[in-house]
Amino acid sequence: MNSPTWDEFAELALKGIRASGAEYGDIRIQDSRTEHIEGEDRRIASIRDLKDVGFGVRVLYHGAWGFAASSVLSLEEVPRVANLAIEIARGSASVALEKVRLVPEPVHRDRVITPYRIDPFTVPLEKKTDLLLNTMETLHRQSGIARSSASLWARRDHKLFVSTEESRVEFDLLAGQGDCTATALHEGRFASRSFNTPHLRKGYELIEEADLLREASRVAAHATEKVKAPAVDAGQYDLVLDPEHLSLTMHESCGHPTELDRVLGYEANYAGTSFLTTDKLGSFRFGSRHVTLVADNTEPETLAATGYDDDGVACQRWDIVRDGLFVGYCTNREVAPKIGEVRSRGSNRADGWGSVPIVRIANIGLDPGTDTLDQLIAGVKRGIYIEGHGSYSIDQRRYNFQFGGDAFWLIENGKRTHMLRDVIYHGITPGFWNSCDGVADRTFRRRYGFITCGKGQPGQSGWMTHAASPARFRNVQVIRGEGHV
Amino acid sequence: MSAGNATRWPKMTGREEFRFLADLVFTRSSGDETIVTLHDVHSGTTRFANNQVVQNVDTRRGTLAITVAFGRRHGTASTTDFTAGSIHDTLARAERIARISPEDPEYLPPPEPFPFVARETARPETTAAGPARRLEYANEAIGHCRMENLLAAGVVSTSAASVGIAANNGLFGYEARADARFSLTVQAGDATGWSAAAHRSVDHLKIQERTLAAIAKAKRSREPIELPAGPYPVIFEPSAVAGLWTWLMWSLDAKSYDKGTSPFAGKLGTQIVDDRLMLCNAPNHTDLLGVGLTSEGLPSMPSTWIDHGVLTQLAHDRFTAQTHGVQDLPTLDAPVLSVNGAACSNLQDLIKRTDYAILVTNFWYIRTVNPIDLTLTGMTRDGTFLVKKGEIVSAIKNFRFHDSPLRAFQQIDAATGPMEAVTAETGKMLAPAIVLPEFNFSSVTRF
Repeated sequence: MNSPTWDEFAELALKGIRASGAEYGDIRIQDSRTEHIEGEDRRIASIRDLKDVGFGVRVLYHGAWGFAASSVLSLEEVPRVANLAIEIARGSASVALEKVRLVPEPVHRDRVITPYRIDPFTVPLEKKTDLLLNTMETLHRQSGIARSSASLWARRDHKLFVSTEESRVEFDLLAGQGDCTATALHEGRFASRSFNTPHLRKGYELIEEADLLREASRVAAHATEKVKAPAVDAGQYDLVLDPEHLSLTMHESCGHPTELDRVLGYEANYAGTSFLTTDKLGSFRFGSRHVTLVADNTEPETLAATGYDDDGVACQRWDIVRDGLFVGYCTNREVAPKIGEVRSRGSNRADGWGSVPIVRIANIGLDPGTDTLDQLIAGVKRGIYIEGHGSYSIDQRRYNFQFGGDAFWLIENGKRTHMLRDVIYHGITPGFWNSCDGVADRTFRRRYGFITCGKGQPGQSGWMTHAASPARFRNVQVIRGEGHV
Repeated sequence: MSAGNATRWPKMTGREEFRFLADLVFTRSSGDETIVTLHDVHSGTTRFANNQVVQNVDTRRGTLAITVAFGRRHGTASTTDFTAGSIHDTLARAERIARISPEDPEYLPPPEPFPFVARETARPETTAAGPARRLEYANEAIGHCRMENLLAAGVVSTSAASVGIAANNGLFGYEARADARFSLTVQAGDATGWSAAAHRSVDHLKIQERTLAAIAKAKRSREPIELPAGPYPVIFEPSAVAGLWTWLMWSLDAKSYDKGTSPFAGKLGTQIVDDRLMLCNAPNHTDLLGVGLTSEGLPSMPSTWIDHGVLTQLAHDRFTAQTHGVQDLPTLDAPVLSVNGAACSNLQDLIKRTDYAILVTNFWYIRTVNPIDLTLTGMTRDGTFLVKKGEIVSAIKNFRFHDSPLRAFQQIDAATGPMEAVTAETGKMLAPAIVLPEFNFSSVTRF
């Protein structure tokens, strides 16, 4: 006997949900494959090929949610899990105060496929391990490099979403990334410098275009310069931040506070709430006139551009901050009506079949300005140019943040001079974004993705991409990143 | 809500079923060495916010991973599909990787068979707890908050797992595990209070006690005053201590030590913190979540890591252990931090004895600022207070800190005995409440 198709499994689950009297239900069946090759200190430390297959059923019964999931995809298990989801939803409904109401969404019947040139899973393994070994050798060619690492990551998700509203979307999604890191030692100190390709929905061409070997020479040289560089003197500086660095600053201080579920208290026990309360929508000056933040889940190759979210809502593009004014949230079908919106923004995503979808940051990017990077730097008398990610931390309402970076250069009288080490800056989110007085033009725009954005209980990893051109911020408080005595 | 037969889950992978699956792999494997690991988890979480359930989930995921080695070439593949065809495919994928992967100079064959200690890692009351029990606990917490006109947000979760490791040299270990967790944030307007618990037994979550503690903190957190950033004497509750010490424990890896990229480089066998501090692993402790076997197929044993302030152990993998001549790999699955001669019986005693200090309930978003001296940053959260002359006199706005536990714990002024310490971002340990003469707060936030 042939095994049932995914559509037959889906129909089995939805049939039970419809019969239960539930107002809504959906099923996501997913087959994910991840290949992760990790190199450490000139050796291939691990090669892992992981397959993760299962399904999750979500039920809205009398205004309350239930969700159940299983890795056993069988004719017995699917109805059992669907029934469990119904039963859990009934339990939730028995104590519900305010009933969940979903905003309408048109029925979608579609297939979404990531375009790619080279399937990473068909690239010979030897080619990939050779690349990583050669990359680490290149890192070690630089005198003073004590440690190295390099890795490649690829993921393919086959997914079927079917809802009781007759939406049916099939996904064949691909994503990849590669990186390398050099750590230099000098007089008992150590310092690292990394190169990361962005996480993007592309094939192995992402890795080939990145040229890890060329980048390895560059970051190794930076690591040895960084470890010998003078520590920063604490004080106020103008900062010029590169797109990779900004991706994290935007993620933490612009992305999370605009998740409407946080604003409404859903994450109060873990990820936190938000200072961007609903009374501020449309009236709060988040940043200067140079700051326009756009959520774009339709931009090709970006992580959140999956065609549809896990509510079955089509991906969209909308403003978060327009000319400095806060104007939009990331929403799903449940929270959108709570602020009077008639359609979800399509930002409800789960990190796999076993997780329930929650509101996630969209692909939020900083709109380009009109300057060049040299012009931004030329306008700084005493400042610091920062590249890449380092230390990061922010309070649970997203006001008080602190960031480091991967590499720092002192700017004096409009010129980038020597490297610095141990640079940490901190500030309060709206004050910082209101200090932005220039953004570089579109030719400098770069995109960086995140696949480990932690949120939810049980914890889930969110995926999204943040694009930016370099931007300049005035009079930011900088401290030295080492013990205070 | 019932827990009738119609919704009962298939039972977890048992010891003999795991042995059968492993044997299925071994008989087919062409590798010199083959290792099979099992991680079969059934977990559920009832999540609430604004005094009602917002998420109610139940997930079963079984994962079987196969590692094959030819000489020093090795590869790993895994699957969540336990049918014979899928397991054969997974083995073939692991073999394919192993045949063409480069030789790994640090590869070691699986450990020799070991008679793992049988610990009571799965309590039946937790394994049996389902959505109905979780909902009952959530309702209890919500009910207390409603009565006080406060908002409750939190989780009740239970988890049962079958964990195993087997190798074709005869190594075989299997363990059933279970744990239950509760955490609650109470919102009193802009003020918040928090409490959390984790235990092998769902009966030991102490929902009422924890809920009342969080309510009291939330009420006390109203109308915070703002103090300037700077160094202050502090009283850290156990969760705050655990937050800092978790990062210290994560930084103990031997490879970084050997390569000179560790904050402890050159400090093994030397005093790194106050000479009354002891850090031990206590996997037999019934209030901790210790395990019988590790993911490498080694036993978890009681051990001492910091003895009277002296660092005595590093966190080894099997390769660095061999390099260092370490026979028994120490683990830290059940950490206990204690202060010798701690004179105070509880937190209230500590407060009464304190003339002036900042009392910190918990930290949030702790991250490394500088791995050389283990400078960390993070925020205080859900209950930060000013203590004067033995009493809490006011809530204060939350601080960001910028300091190293290696500096801050050089001198301890007073401490309690070890108590349950659960944090939002880490696991569970036993840790004391501690008074330190100085801790550096670098900035203040707006609430």
